[in-house]
Amino acid sequence: MNEQGNRGTLGDRSPSAPSDEFELVQDENTLSMATAVTLRNPATLLPRTVAATTEGPLVRRLLTGIAVLFLGLFLLLPLTMVFASALAKGFTVYVESLREPDAWAAIRLTLLAAAMAVPANVVFGVAAAWAIGKFDFFGKSLLITLIDLPFAVSPVVSGLIYVLLFGLQGILGPWLAAHDIKIIFAVPGIVLATIFVTFPFVARELIPLIQAQGNEEEEAALTLGASGWRTFFHVTLPNIKWGLLYGVILCNARAMGEFGAVSVVSGHIRGRTNTMPLHIEILYNEYQFVPAFAVASLLALLALLTLFVKSLIEWRSKQQVAS
Amino acid sequence: MSIEAVGITKRFGAFSALDNVDLTIPSGELVALLGPSGSGKTTLLRIIAGLEFADSGTVRFDGSDITDQSARERRVGFVFQHYALFRHMTVFENIAFGLRVRPRKLRPAKNEIERRVKGLLSLIQLENLAHRYPAQLSGGQRQRVALARALAVEPSVLLLDEPFGALDAKVRLELRRWLRQLHDEIHITSVFVTHDQEEALEVADRVVVMNQGQIEQVGSPDEVYNYPATPFVYRFLGNVNLFHGRIDEGQTYLHDAVSPERATSHIGSKTVYVRPHWLEIRRQPDHENHFRATIKHINSAGPVVKVEAVSEWGSPVHIELSQDRFRDLQLTRNEAVFVTPKEVKVFDGDPAA
Repeated sequence: MNEQGNRGTLGDRSPSAPSDEFELVQDENTLSMATAVTLRNPATLLPRTVAATTEGPLVRRLLTGIAVLFLGLFLLLPLTMVFASALAKGFTVYVESLREPDAWAAIRLTLLAAAMAVPANVVFGVAAAWAIGKFDFFGKSLLITLIDLPFAVSPVVSGLIYVLLFGLQGILGPWLAAHDIKIIFAVPGIVLATIFVTFPFVARELIPLIQAQGNEEEEAALTLGASGWRTFFHVTLPNIKWGLLYGVILCNARAMGEFGAVSVVSGHIRGRTNTMPLHIEILYNEYQFVPAFAVASLLALLALLTLFVKSLIEWRSKQQVAS
Repeated sequence: MSIEAVGITKRFGAFSALDNVDLTIPSGELVALLGPSGSGKTTLLRIIAGLEFADSGTVRFDGSDITDQSARERRVGFVFQHYALFRHMTVFENIAFGLRVRPRKLRPAKNEIERRVKGLLSLIQLENLAHRYPAQLSGGQRQRVALARALAVEPSVLLLDEPFGALDAKVRLELRRWLRQLHDEIHITSVFVTHDQEEALEVADRVVVMNQGQIEQVGSPDEVYNYPATPFVYRFLGNVNLFHGRIDEGQTYLHDAVSPERATSHIGSKTVYVRPHWLEIRRQPDHENHFRATIKHINSAGPVVKVEAVSEWGSPVHIELSQDRFRDLQLTRNEAVFVTPKEVKVFDGDPAA
């Protein structure tokens, strides 16, 4: 009985082999039919690999072409011109123009202004973003508007504000003169003006970030017994570090490149109150093209470096999010 | 450690989150704060934790007043709905955080911290994920890490804010059974907030039902489910049918249609509550104790069969019956049947619906 049963199942299985072959043949049939259809109208059977929002090739090439042309004409060409003009009379002349005492003083002053403005900005920016992002208080929207003020007003006006405040004819001028404190037409004025125009960078970068992250991690740290400082340095700061760095980079670039506000308060005293942008203008007005472009090339290099570091930070923070 | 909250009141602008709430939680119990959103349950939990401060009232741990202590001083373990893990720290660092931030005198030695974190990792069954970052974990794993992190500081009480709220149904079920087991092992006084009655009834030793900033009832799952103190508790803890009814000479009448000859008397007009499984469908009338209904919809997928019907006076009625009973009856849609209430609930002082 058992043997018969086994044979029965074996016998059942054997017809399945021909049926497989039959299916294969059928597959071939459907395939050939499909190719026939494809030949007649290839577009209907090809899978659409492009997104639904994409335009046709002509429009795409035209738009891309315009963008590339514009970039080349208005950005790449001037940038190369800066370096070409700076090196027009050879590398030695280029280096000499930078080592000239007034140029060197301008470079140092620019670095000093940035070195003062950036830390001031970091402290203020983090404090403001923390307060705005984590708490609700009266006058919050006013504070946000005030932070944006330096972006809204012309830098020349920003400079004038300081002249009106600290200048000889200004409100605090006589008192400052009596105590022999010089702010306008001196280094402190330049630093103050730089701080003013770079005010929003770090705060603007951090406010949306801190708002998005909410309070829970800080609350968790608190219930685990961490002090306020500890919570800030070990929980809050690591979470905002990429945004903070990004803000610092942008702030630094603006601090070094600022012209308008600094120009008003500087007084243009060579070797003493000239920053790099101001120095470039003076040289250019005196038809000293090679030295002017040499200093300008330094600023341009700095801009390129800034962009590179910015991209690096964006890439790193994206990786952080992905992990 | 026992928790005592006395006369807690908290307002957010014009909204009254908690209104003179008194609650005592005995040492070692696992208590659920159950209520709909806006009932004040999370606010009460945060006030116990010291993350929020009451406008008035006192919080005591083991009898000592801690109302003015900060969250830092209270030594509570707090677990957040969205985990709130430190995203830039590994699982290990997250759990060790509470020990590492202690002042130097109270901080355990490095190898002691490591030993304790490893112990907790094995407790949450995540030993081999110690060096992962929170973003690399699933929701259930993250919540277990959050729990381990809270337990690492050996808190006096454990407070959990909707701990399973952000998880999908299956993980939630597993994790709440696991929490129950964990509590049976370590017996730490625990309070968790939930809006899921099933979760509260299954996990907790004691359920605190809250509504509109007040406590409606405190009791064991059996007590609050079977002996609800208020209509709200009855309605919140399960599906329910509401009928207009009357009480007359100790008898409850559903709607006037049941006994038309007595409809003139409206003295005992009441809302009558009946759970869907206390309604029985019959083909034959059951003396006076029944009403007529027409079946409108049948859902037989699941352990019980859910029937939607319309009563003879036109209101919808939800009925639940067992699969066996459903098979015996062979019900079809639009069929007229008799419905017999086997148990009803009427509350004193509750006006008619």
